[in-house]
Formats: sequence, structure tokens, C-alpha cells
Amino acid sequence: MKAGFIKYLFFVLPFLVSSVVFGQYRISGIVKSEKGNAIPFASVSTDQKGAGTQTDSIGRFTLQVLKGNLTLMVSFVGYRLFKKELQLDSSVALEIVLKPDTRSLNEVVISAGSFEASDKAKGASLTAMDAFTVAGNNGDLALALRSLPGAQQIGEMDGLFVRGGTGEESRQFIDGTLLKNPNYPKLPGIQQYARVNPILFKGILFSTGGYSALYGGAMSSALILESNDLPEKSSAYFSVFPPNLSGGIQQLSADKKSSLGVTLRYTKASLYNAVVKQRPDYFSGPEYLEGDANFRIQTGKQGMLKFYTNWNRSDVGMRNPDIDSTALKLADHVKGKSSYNNLSYRGHFATHWQVEAGAAYSYHQDEVSTGLENAAGSPVELSQEAMRLKNRQRLIKSDFSQFRVVLTDQLPKNQALRFGAEHFYTQDRGRLNDSAFLLRDHLSALFAEGDIYLAPGLATKIGTRIEYSSLLRKAVVAPRLSIAYRLNNGGQFNLAYGRFYQEPINEILYQNSELKFSSAAHYILNYTKKANNRFFRIEVYRKDYRDLVKTTPVTDNGGTGYAQGLELFFRDKKTIKNLDYWITYSYLDTKRTELNYPYALRPSFAAPHTATIALKQNFQEINTYLNISYAFAAGRPYYDIRYHAADQSYRIFDQGRTKVYSVANLQVAHLFSIFSSWRQKPVSGFSVGVNNILGTRQVFGYNYSLDGSNKVPITLPAARYFYAGIFMSFGIDRTGDFIDKNL
Amino acid sequence: MKKSVITILALLCSYFNSDAQGKTTTAALQNAVTKLDRAKNAGEYEGLEKEFLGIAEQEKKNWLPYYYAAFCNAKIGFLKQDDGEGIEPFSNRGEDQAKRAKTLLDTLGQKKELSEVYTVLSMVYRTKVFINPMTYGRKYGKLSQEYRVKAQALNPQNPRAIYVKAWEMYKTPKLWGGNKELGRQLAEQSLGLLKDPETGVHPHWGKAESQELLNKNN
Repeated sequence: MKAGFIKYLFFVLPFLVSSVVFGQYRISGIVKSEKGNAIPFASVSTDQKGAGTQTDSIGRFTLQVLKGNLTLMVSFVGYRLFKKELQLDSSVALEIVLKPDTRSLNEVVISAGSFEASDKAKGASLTAMDAFTVAGNNGDLALALRSLPGAQQIGEMDGLFVRGGTGEESRQFIDGTLLKNPNYPKLPGIQQYARVNPILFKGILFSTGGYSALYGGAMSSALILESNDLPEKSSAYFSVFPPNLSGGIQQLSADKKSSLGVTLRYTKASLYNAVVKQRPDYFSGPEYLEGDANFRIQTGKQGMLKFYTNWNRSDVGMRNPDIDSTALKLADHVKGKSSYNNLSYRGHFATHWQVEAGAAYSYHQDEVSTGLENAAGSPVELSQEAMRLKNRQRLIKSDFSQFRVVLTDQLPKNQALRFGAEHFYTQDRGRLNDSAFLLRDHLSALFAEGDIYLAPGLATKIGTRIEYSSLLRKAVVAPRLSIAYRLNNGGQFNLAYGRFYQEPINEILYQNSELKFSSAAHYILNYTKKANNRFFRIEVYRKDYRDLVKTTPVTDNGGTGYAQGLELFFRDKKTIKNLDYWITYSYLDTKRTELNYPYALRPSFAAPHTATIALKQNFQEINTYLNISYAFAAGRPYYDIRYHAADQSYRIFDQGRTKVYSVANLQVAHLFSIFSSWRQKPVSGFSVGVNNILGTRQVFGYNYSLDGSNKVPITLPAARYFYAGIFMSFGIDRTGDFIDKNL
Repeated sequence: MKKSVITILALLCSYFNSDAQGKTTTAALQNAVTKLDRAKNAGEYEGLEKEFLGIAEQEKKNWLPYYYAAFCNAKIGFLKQDDGEGIEPFSNRGEDQAKRAKTLLDTLGQKKELSEVYTVLSMVYRTKVFINPMTYGRKYGKLSQEYRVKAQALNPQNPRAIYVKAWEMYKTPKLWGGNKELGRQLAEQSLGLLKDPETGVHPHWGKAESQELLNKNN
């Protein structure tokens, strides 16, 4: 009897204690994923003390709880927490579906209109290194970025021509401040080198439209560059790439809190040009000397003070046959001097505030002399007005300074509120032949922007920028808006709208400052998907230009225009081991009336179809890298626009389409080690390359003689461009880099 | 009297119960490890990771379930090494789990166990490098190597740490200090130490991994 009682107790006790004694109910259920698969070992808990369990191997659970109100919670790694309020007056059976947790891993990042190349890139997203190592870049970031959709393949000028915009409509910014003249002074028909070494940057944001309210003054494109922080170690390097010599050191302090760096580059192309025949006859240079220095100081835990200064000079003189007379030559001699200085500070205060401040000062001096020469090389003065104008002496000295402060309040869920102000001061003093001119402008801007998280996977960036120019005596308000919506499959839709104001170019303002801001409105829709080391992007856009400058019949803001198009980008790092390639296609439909255009025209820099391929193959076993890029563009329009005396207006006397543009560039780099017995084993390599390896004849447009009877194609200075050289770097043990890059 | 009998009974009952539970989870762990020894593809490792996590919930003081969950994630990362950002969730989970396993160890007394955890942590950091070698390599490649060195310092005879070094040596280009021959020798050494196949719940994997390295033609 007693044993029976004990046995009885043994079996019944738990039940007695639970439901009968305290009045408990039972919650039972099954936990599944959206696909209907049972989730075993999910943890099930309630807000009642002690009531919790986990699902069994087939996803089932039972739980004894007290009656009344309670919250049931089910969680499992990789799924969103399931929460449900229950009012229990009987036992219940539930079927619980857990949703995958995509938020933490796939944060929504606003990206309409832009390509970001950063040091945080995952998978097939671009890194700064990916962006500027495209074959044929010539050390110019703008040239490297032509392998991305939206940029035109322009071979006779430098700068970025984006989506129907001129090169002047793109601006480069370093740590927030404007880099006014990224390239050496222009020469007719010859692309000039970039003044700033792209290797300085860890982050590049290439916006082809719809960019943030923090930036302005560019109707088409902003190239936003973020410079490196402290180096990991001290290092030194030199490279010999005839005709270019370069060397530098970077010193990290013992406490690893500050660094100093200096580099020097010198290029003299005369020897190269003697070997590889150039179309123009260079009588001076081309010669470029450039030095830069920087210091970086870490302040506090996250603060950083950076200074960068770049000083350079150039000298290029060339002779070409004069288009109007067979007996004469036209000589262009351009000498440039410039200095760019940028001091920036980034710091944090009061836990969630960030401050970024910057000051920049730059000085440019461009001295251009153009003149007609006879066969003996003596200057020629002709009486005819148009021919007399070909003899010109021009000197421009330009001072530019900028101050900028941006405050950011970092809010939860990746939200932020930013606001700030900046001021640009420009003073150009110039002389053209005997007449002097002066241009002075104060441009002030105020801006505010918020990153707002609306719902899971839905975020928006909304901002406004107000600008006032003392020269134009006008203020403008530029609204900006972008929205991003992330799908569960990792794809993302982006939408952007914005107005972008820009002052007329200085060349026009020298003559007339009774003008307004020109502007462009951007409307952008894109879809991106990044997964498994592949990246796909499609974007459509529309751009409406207003108040473009017309120079005839009078100079005013009577011009208008539009650009619209579609762009595709696909990058794949997965399919073939160690091969990384991307393919792009851009369709562009654009017309504008501006300058002396008699009516709306497709501008001569705008090709309707452009396709590019960039390919990088790493032959790991032999430490060799192969780099190929190819670009194709449909023919560009060209026009002979001249004044028609009888009509008293400008007319198109001749027009056409150039032949298609097609260029392949090749580069091979090989790394090796010599002096391996040295304590600081140097890393060495050589690199050889050819731009336009097939020697395809490129025609970018035509120059016309004054009477239109002579038409001369604008082509490359030489069919191919060759380079070969070696480099050595000391100090930094880049072993890790290379292992990591290659494994 | 009756009251105390009930109390004793209740206590006894709970004792037996928890013991029974302890036994079943150890059986569950053994069962999962046996399955792990046979697992080949990422899907199997994903399922096993969940199973180990479930066991971890039961055996809150046992380092092994978290260790194995982290190992599953490391294996997934290696199997998916060409998938870029797709690896990230596994790497992150693996890192968390390996760190949790470490907190359950007496780091002074359990040197061999710690060596095992560091070995897996080294592999987890290597999978982070796969996400994007150019941006993640600098930091995580270094961490991976550091933890492998620590694992070997704690237990020079750990065949799994030796395997991880073999992998490093095998995959690193010669110019950067790699050595395929040394990689092969290390894999052989690791295999030598794994001669008698264990079947318990303690870490004993590594045979297939070293074998795979040795089977490579180049």
C-alpha cells in the first residue's frame, strides 16, 4: 500500500504541483521556418519566471504556464525574435513561423546613383584598389573610373564626362574640400596627367547623380575621396617607370599615434617621345615635377587630424601644323604651377556626436602662350583679324580657399542627422594679351541631411542645401532625397531625386558676371543585387538642365537640356578562380542648347552607347597579375559651328559622327624578391603595359579651319602608349597583404 | 513525516530527472559528433550547427557544443570560400561561438582544450578573409595566424593546429613565405598524430582535412 502510494506520488506529483495546485495551463506548439521546415532546439520562453523550454528535434515544444496574461517568445540564431501576447484561460496549441533575420547582415545602404569603393567592401563591392588599378588608368582616378557606367570615353581632354554632362560638371573632393584643378593645365587635344596620386585614398564614392546635400557645385557628378588614416608601419619606396621617377617615405611614430610622409615624382617625356614618335612636335618638356607631404595625428580615441600638401609644376610646349595655312605652325606653350593644401579634423564628442572640419587653400598659376610660327620657327604676325587672334599670351593666377564644418548626430538603427556650413573664396587675377581681368567670388553654403530608418529594410536620406554667391548675388535652394528598399533576397531598390546648382565656368564669368546659377534636376531609379561574390546593378535616370549659359545672340542663362539613359553593371569574382571582371553598358540620350549652339544638339562629347570590360587575373603560383581593360563607344557627333555673317547668327556648316571608339589596354605585373638576406626584405616588382594595344586609330572629333574647308581629326598623340618599370618597397611587411589578397 | 517523505521524494525525483537529462544530452552530443564525422556539405554543417546550439542550451557549462557549433561555421566558410559576403553570417556566428566556448574553459588548467578553441578561432578568422581578401585580409589574416600560433604554443602536438598551419603554408605563395613542401610535411605530421581514430565527443577531426591537402596535385 505504502509502495503504491509512493509510486502514485512519484508519477502524479509533477502534475499535482503544476496544473491542479496552482491552476496551470499548457502551451504546446510547433516552430517552423517560412519554408515550413521544423526548427529544432529553438528556445521558447515567457515572461513568467521559470517557464521556458526548447523545441525538440522535430520542432515541437510544450510549456506549463500560469493562467492569465503572458508574453511568449521564441528565438533561434538567424531568425527574428517571435513575440506574442497570450491571454490564457485554457491550454493552447500554436504554430509559430520564424522569419529570417536579415537586418543585421544586410543593412540597407542608400546607393542610388553612386559607386562606393571603400576599405570596408565585402564580396564583389568595389575597393579603392579595385577602382584605380584598371588597366590604362595612367595614375588618374578619373581615367580609371571611366570603366564604370555613366562616364564617357573621352580621349582628348581630361576630366569625367558623366551622363551628358561636361567635364566641368564633375567635381572632386578630398576629405570634404574641393580639389579645384585635379589635372595639369589643359592643352588642346592632349589629355593631361592628374596632380594627385590616387594611392592616397582608402575610400572613393563616385556619384553619377543624386549625391548628398553635403556636397554641391557639380551639376553631374561628385567624386568624393577619403584619404588614408595612419599607416600600419613606416615604409619607403621608389619606382622607375621611364619617363617617370618616383620615391617616398612614410614614417610612423614610435607610439603609433602620428605619421609623417613625403613623396616626390618627376616626369620628363622628351626621351620617350624621341623613341615613340608623337604627332605634335614637342619643343618643351613635357615635364612635370610634383611633391607632396602629409602628417596625420591621432587625437584621443577616435579623433584624427590630417594635413596634406601637394606642390607641382609643369611645362609643355608643342607645335602642330596650323589648320588655316599649310606654311605655318601653331605653337602652344603651357606652364603651370599649383599648390593644394588641406587640413582636416575628425573627432567625436558627447558619445554620439561627430565633428568633421576642414580647411583648404590652393593656388594655381597657368601661363599659356599661343602663336603662329613660320617654317624657320620665327613668330608670325598676320593682319587678318581671326589669324591675329591666334597669337595670345594669357596668365591666370587663382587663389582658392574653403572652410567647412559638418556635425553628425549618430542615432540608433544607423540613423543620423547631419548639418553644417561651408564657405568658398575664389579670386582669379588674369591677363589676356594687354587686358587684365579680376574675378572674385564668395560662395557660402548651409546644409542639413537626415538618414531616417522608416521600416525594416526601408531607409531614406533627405536633405537640403542652400547656396549664396556674392558674385552672382543670388541664393538657391537645392533639395535632395533618396530612398532605399531592401528585399529579403538581398536585392535593393533605390530612388533618388535632387537639384544641383553650379556657377557658370570662370572662362565665361571673366567676361560677364550678370548670370545665374545653372542647374540640373536628377531622377534616378536603380536596382542592385550583391550576392556570392557577384554584383549586379541596373539604373535608369533622367536629368533636366535649366539656365545653361548661352553665348549667342547675347550671353545669358537661356540654355536648356536633358539627358536620360540606362546603365548596367555586372561584376563577378566567383565563376573563375582568381579572375575578377566587370562589364558595363551605358545608353545615353542627351541634347542641350548652350554656348553658340543654334538649336538643341547632342553635345560632341556624348556617345549614345558605351560598353566597357575590366578584367584582372591573378596567376598566384607565379606571382603575376594580368590586367586588361576594353572600352567601346559608338561614334560621337561633331559640328562645324560658325558665325554666318549674312544671317548674323551661328550656323552649323558641317556635321557628322566619328567612327566608333574601341580601345584595349594591357598590363602585366610580376612580383619577386631580391636582397632577401636583408633584414627588411624589400618587395619588388616590375610592370609592363600598353594602352591601345591594338593601335586602333581613334577619332574623337574634328577641328575645322576658319572657312570650314579644312577638317582635321582629333586623335591620340601616338597610336600606342607603352610603359615598363620596376618598383621596390621597403619596411612594410606586405606579406600579409599579399597572402590575404590571394588566398 | 509524510511531508518530509514527499520532500525527499521530490528531491530524489528531480535528481534522477536531471541525471537522466544529462545522460540524454551527452548522448545527443555523441550522436551529433558522430554525424559531424560524416558531414561533407555546407547544408549538413548548417543542420549540425543548429543541433550543437540546441545541446549548448541544455549543457550550459559544457564548452564542447559551442566549440563544435563554431567548427561547423568555420567549415561552412571554407566550403563557401568563393561566395564573398555570403560567408559573413557564418563567420560572425562562428566567432561568437568560439569565444563563448573559451569562456567555459578554465584557461589556466585546460590548455589542451583552449588550444582546440584557438584552432577553430583561427579557422573562423580565415573565413573572414574570404569575404573580401583586399579589405578584410589585412586584419583577419593576421588574427588567424596569431590564434594558430597560440594554439600551437598551448599544445604543440595538437594535430588540428598543425593542420591549420599546413593549410597556411600550402596556400601562401612562395614569395610571401609559403612552402608547399612544408605544408605537405605538416599535413603528414598531423595525420601521424591522428592515427588511431577516436570516436568520443572530444575533438578528433582533422584526418579528412589533411588528406584533402595531400590529395591536391599542385
